[in-house]
Amino acid sequence: MSPASNQWSTTTQWLFRFFFIYFLLQVLPLDYKFYKDVFAIRLGAIYYGDIFRLAHYYPEFILSSPLYNWFLIVALSVIGAIVWSAIDKQAKEYAQLYYWLRVLLRYRLAFALTAYAFIKIFPLQSPFPTLSQLNTQYGEFTTWQLFSVSLGTAPLYQIFLGWVELVAAVLLLWRRTTAIGAFIVLLFTGNVLFSNLAYEGGEVGYSLFLVLLALVLFAYDAQRIFNVVVWGRKAIADRFLPIIKPQFKVWRWVLKGVFIFFILIFYGFKTYQGYKKNPHNIPIAKGLPDVAGVYNVAHFSINNDTLPYNSLDPIRWQQVVFEEWATLSIKSNRDVIIDSNNVEQVSPIDWDKKYESQGTIRRHFYAYTVDSIQQLLHLHNKNAHYPADTFTLHYARPDTNTIILQGRINNTDSIYTVLTKIPKKYLLIEGRRKPQTL
Amino acid sequence: MANVLTDLQTSPATDANGSTHTGSLADANKYPYIWSPLQKTAFRIVFVFFIIMCIPGSASWYKTVFNIDWTHLHYRDLYDVARFNPIRIWTVRSESGRWGLASWSNWVAILGIAIVIGLIWGWVDNKRKSYNIAYYWLQAIVRYRAGIGIIGFGFTKLFPVQMPYPSISLLNNNFGDLTGHKVFWLSIGIVPWYQVFTGVVEVAAGAFLLFRKTTAFGAALLIGALASITVVNLGYDGGVHVYASYFVLLGSFVLAYYIPRVYRLLILKQDVTPIDIVPNFSEKWQRWLRIGIKSLLVFLFLIVLFYLQWMNYLYDPYKQPSSPGVKTLRGYYHVKEFKINDRIIPEDPTDTTRWQEVIFEKWSTLAYKQNRKVPLELSNGGGGPMKDINKTFEVSGVAGGRRVFHYLADTVNQVLYLQDKNIMTAKKKIHSRGGGDDIINPAYVVKDSSKFWIPIEALRNIGDENKTIHPRASSTRRNRVFGVGLVDEGRQKMILSYQTEDGGKRVYLRGINEDKDSIFVVLDRVDRKYAVSESTLSAGSY
Repeated sequence: MSPASNQWSTTTQWLFRFFFIYFLLQVLPLDYKFYKDVFAIRLGAIYYGDIFRLAHYYPEFILSSPLYNWFLIVALSVIGAIVWSAIDKQAKEYAQLYYWLRVLLRYRLAFALTAYAFIKIFPLQSPFPTLSQLNTQYGEFTTWQLFSVSLGTAPLYQIFLGWVELVAAVLLLWRRTTAIGAFIVLLFTGNVLFSNLAYEGGEVGYSLFLVLLALVLFAYDAQRIFNVVVWGRKAIADRFLPIIKPQFKVWRWVLKGVFIFFILIFYGFKTYQGYKKNPHNIPIAKGLPDVAGVYNVAHFSINNDTLPYNSLDPIRWQQVVFEEWATLSIKSNRDVIIDSNNVEQVSPIDWDKKYESQGTIRRHFYAYTVDSIQQLLHLHNKNAHYPADTFTLHYARPDTNTIILQGRINNTDSIYTVLTKIPKKYLLIEGRRKPQTL
Repeated sequence: MANVLTDLQTSPATDANGSTHTGSLADANKYPYIWSPLQKTAFRIVFVFFIIMCIPGSASWYKTVFNIDWTHLHYRDLYDVARFNPIRIWTVRSESGRWGLASWSNWVAILGIAIVIGLIWGWVDNKRKSYNIAYYWLQAIVRYRAGIGIIGFGFTKLFPVQMPYPSISLLNNNFGDLTGHKVFWLSIGIVPWYQVFTGVVEVAAGAFLLFRKTTAFGAALLIGALASITVVNLGYDGGVHVYASYFVLLGSFVLAYYIPRVYRLLILKQDVTPIDIVPNFSEKWQRWLRIGIKSLLVFLFLIVLFYLQWMNYLYDPYKQPSSPGVKTLRGYYHVKEFKINDRIIPEDPTDTTRWQEVIFEKWSTLAYKQNRKVPLELSNGGGGPMKDINKTFEVSGVAGGRRVFHYLADTVNQVLYLQDKNIMTAKKKIHSRGGGDDIINPAYVVKDSSKFWIPIEALRNIGDENKTIHPRASSTRRNRVFGVGLVDEGRQKMILSYQTEDGGKRVYLRGINEDKDSIFVVLDRVDRKYAVSESTLSAGSY
């Protein structure tokens, strides 16, 4: 499709009409759920997740199946192209429309990239592993969770990935650098697509969508770039100029300025604020003071019946981890239905922050509140499959390394446990730069 | 190269130096046919710098390459040809010199030498107007160096053996008890198809660099992939950041050739007529030599290496032991009973003597967990070892009381002869830190087999370890290592007899542990569930 030539072939015209409608349907916010998200935003307390959600928009006309949803979009585009062709018989070419489509796609893609860029530049997407995660066995994570937890151990790498996305996004904001930006997106988001496929991530469709946007944008300049770097042939520079009425010219700069301010500066600042004060993957409510650590369950009795340590016993607890925040996890051989999630949930509310508990087995995670007068912990299982698993335990701390928990864990059983802190050093934190004996 | 500009009147033209240029000449004045003094000075330095960077700089590389038996190759032979560093001039002995910024000091030193030589060259060769042909050759050398180097790496991913799927003992190791390096390598190991994809990218980048028309895309892919790997190595302490960034540097030099034309085309919006000056291979022998060298390299590094790596993947995976383990002894076992010197020790994760779980891998490894500190083996678990005992990926960078033993099994008398795979616990003074080739100190070779720790009769029952893999994967390299004979490096040892019931569902082990205590262990196999997906591609045959 060379927009410089005046007359487009019939096939090109048909293809253009189809793709024009196809991409408009995917890019324009036509899904009512988008407006639900928009109106849910409280202007006084905008959270970076609010903007992230808007940037992550993808229309879902059919909720049950992403594939049927896509078929519907294709079908609508075909119908639209037929109708359009029937009405518009005089058209020779759509160079102007093609230009505006590219503008739309450029900004759409830049918005999407920025959304993910900043939650990596401020390493929010994959925080450093929690104490529970450090004490979870490798095979007890799902493949997707391993991807994220592993990324969390190297903030430097995560920040680097964020900057690559941000640079690509910025390059998309100018016509002259669009092809370079789009090429970077093809490599980067192409890799994200393969990662999602391999690690069973939930963004296969979305990343494919972004790759297609980049492909369309790169295609515009592909021929000339190939000419100079592959074939060694003469290449004609792009001389296309959009027809814009003089009174609208100023609006171009205003809109661009607003976009840059809102997406790069405002959203960037909001993610930084979130990183400092309320990251979306780590709860912020403080736990019991001075208790964080990993504890061996030295004694465990249930209904006054002492159970010896047995790693196969589904009832006896083996290990308890207290985080700095108000979460504790209990390891036993009791079954866990995996609370699986493989897309980014960006919520400011502690209870919704399931990153620490999802994608793992053999450990039950409880968010708790403390009644420090009666020395009680009110526990709620964070896993969506166990909504009824909530109980209250009395706690005592005879010394700094010991915690005694007792109480009813359900309607019939009462337990008494003595937890002793394990003085644990982690190779992951100690590192391999010096000889280690651990 | 006299009077280059007159040559530009005709196309294609041959200039006095015997070079041709292709493409239309309308744009010719923009091309640096006559170079400015600054360009020439810079070029001489850059030329010397990259030539030094592309020449193998260590004596051991030449020794390895001259010792290769080209009639009976191992993948590692070609890998070693492709993998080399330039001469080492300046090493900073500090943490930063190994893991941080100062580890690039050698490049600075090479640049320093290049500046000196480049300036002397300029003084000698001060009449020269341009270096177009020299630039062509430098570009060719650098892209071949980069291309072959990355292909060597790429095939270990294309056949996914560089990052093995975690062994059972690694699946049961705490996440926090691994090094960062291990965490990242395993995160690729769990998705073998993704590893194949990254291998395809690397091999494609390398293959693209071998052909002029695809060079720009090869260089762009190389920069993208290896920049990411460089940061991975810095972020996870992988330790090969300098070598990874070496390819970014080479790729950037190669791509730099194309940047001016793309810049003019896209950013300045000028029409561009690219002109590539290439040597004019007018003599027949020149053309044959060119095709011959190119074909040989493509054959060796794309076809032969493909085959060798495939065999390696099938029968003798790079970092994974290749001898099959005893068939009835496989899986994850719960330690039902544990006696040491006839004293029963109940299950208790804080006890420092009791084994907490026992794992028999599908290969010749027994692993267990014990609450006891040991000096850790912190290598990358790579290198080119031929012997299973030196394939240490399953133990390197692993803490948390994990003990990993290699065993030789006398299946007639049902006895396992075990040695700690962690070389750091060995009692003799060992210079190796693990994770390298099989370095066999002559002092450790046991000439008199009657003095070896494994009885002769048992050795006869165990058989030749070299022959445990399929003959298709055999090689002179492997034969040489095993040909040395019996070796005792003073590793920690156990001799345990085994008895199985119910096809290995219950196992009894009894014998002498590494501290010479007698132990008796009753094991029950557990069908352990994992959340991570099983491997979709399995290297090795067991």
